[in-house]
Amino acid sequence: MTLIKLDDVGLKFQVRRAGRISFKDYLLHGLFRRSKKTSFEVQALENINLTVEEGDRLGIIGPNGAGKSTLLKLLAGIYPPTSGRRKVVGKISALFDIALGFETDANGWENIMYRGYLQGETPRSIREKIQPIAEFSELGDFLNMPVRYYSSGMKVRLAFSIATAIAPEILIIDEVLSAGDMAFQTKARERMKSLMSSARAVIVVSHDMKSLELMCDRVLWLDHGKMRPIGPAEEVIKAYTQQNNQGEKRQAA
Amino acid sequence: MTGYLSSIWRLRHFWMALVRIDLRKRYRGTVIGIGWSLLQPIAMTAVLCLVFSRIFGQSIREFAPYLLTGLTFWGFITAVVMQGCQSFFQGESYIRQHPAPLAIYPLRATLGAGFHFILGFAIASVFVWCVNGFGNLPALVSLVPTFVLLFVIGWSLAVCMGVANVLFQDSQHLIGIVMQMLFYLTPILYPPKMMLSKSPHFALIFNYNPFAMLLELIRKPLLDGELPSLWAIGASSLFALLVVCAAMLALRCFEKRMIFYL
Repeated sequence: MTLIKLDDVGLKFQVRRAGRISFKDYLLHGLFRRSKKTSFEVQALENINLTVEEGDRLGIIGPNGAGKSTLLKLLAGIYPPTSGRRKVVGKISALFDIALGFETDANGWENIMYRGYLQGETPRSIREKIQPIAEFSELGDFLNMPVRYYSSGMKVRLAFSIATAIAPEILIIDEVLSAGDMAFQTKARERMKSLMSSARAVIVVSHDMKSLELMCDRVLWLDHGKMRPIGPAEEVIKAYTQQNNQGEKRQAA
Repeated sequence: MTGYLSSIWRLRHFWMALVRIDLRKRYRGTVIGIGWSLLQPIAMTAVLCLVFSRIFGQSIREFAPYLLTGLTFWGFITAVVMQGCQSFFQGESYIRQHPAPLAIYPLRATLGAGFHFILGFAIASVFVWCVNGFGNLPALVSLVPTFVLLFVIGWSLAVCMGVANVLFQDSQHLIGIVMQMLFYLTPILYPPKMMLSKSPHFALIFNYNPFAMLLELIRKPLLDGELPSLWAIGASSLFALLVVCAAMLALRCFEKRMIFYL
């Protein structure tokens, strides 16, 4: 069964120039729609064709700024495609920017509730999960403290524990494994494994080629928002590392 | 539309939690906490009463609840408009993570403002009942649909302002000036009769200003124990319909693309 289908999808960002827009620029360019000075366009994704079937474990690789995270956000429904079509069947759980979106004045317990509610929990259903979440985060008494006093590592622990407490249908992950200290990373990796085995489909972005090769059966290589080969994990990763190595050699020479 | 509303309803625990924390945050670290919400309108009314009851030649007994309802109402409208402007920026980190209906963020602002409105209104009611005795029941019942109307208008205004401000960030400063002008064009401080006796042209302002109409829906039943005029009811409902349509249009055109402007 096809869970996700992207049909010739493109995404173009309108990026505002930093700083104040002068009134003259606004009148001259903004009003007449040919806004060259007030904003510029970035083609983040171009001609993406992708199908994700039931049971797929898809990895996405590519250099920084290739559009990997943008593609994930588009899959998760946060960005709408500016061209082409996106079709998704099933509920998506996404793990990205996970240290964002805390109410800093509320304490850890309360934030567990808020995040849970956003993920569709009710006060009753979250009550059963709140204890396991707290235990997994290992934050102990810190949970009684407002989140504004948390270190970034603690925030990531909490966010990860909340986000992975529900069994997802389609799981989308953006390099969260690099978060937390060593002990937590091992634990997080275990949890990811069990999540990945229970989810109907998984899409991962990572720079860790070794774990990608183990986790995924298919890999998509993105570069400058365009699709490079997509295919069996081993082949694509090999091609990608080869190209990177060549680049290094050229620099060395 | 119903699908959209039901998805908002499904997230009710989320936005209600946000409203609660907004209220708590406002008085974080203060001694009397939520008491400030009660004290602030009372103090404001007391001050203005002392000044204006002389100038307008009104008895405090009548003028105090008149002022209090006016100020509370205006507090709600400005809060909805000004916080509505910020609502999407405030919810940005959630918007970037979770595809939820965007109208919940202006709703958060509206409910927070609504809470303070209800408090202010309760104080005014208690004052009126203590001084003049319990009013006319059917007239008071008419306040229920009025509050619903006010809520719908507030939410829609917040949505419109939120969208406008994300697309064009000068909106929040512009609307600040507009609100200041509207404050004087609406009979909040002064009694309309007094202005009408100076010049009949003021009738134009009072009869065609939707905020003046809304204020009549609130004041007539509470202060005079009378049902509001049909004109006020009709005009307010029409205004509500207009802003709801504007909000729906704004969401329809820009909801999906909003993320690109945040």
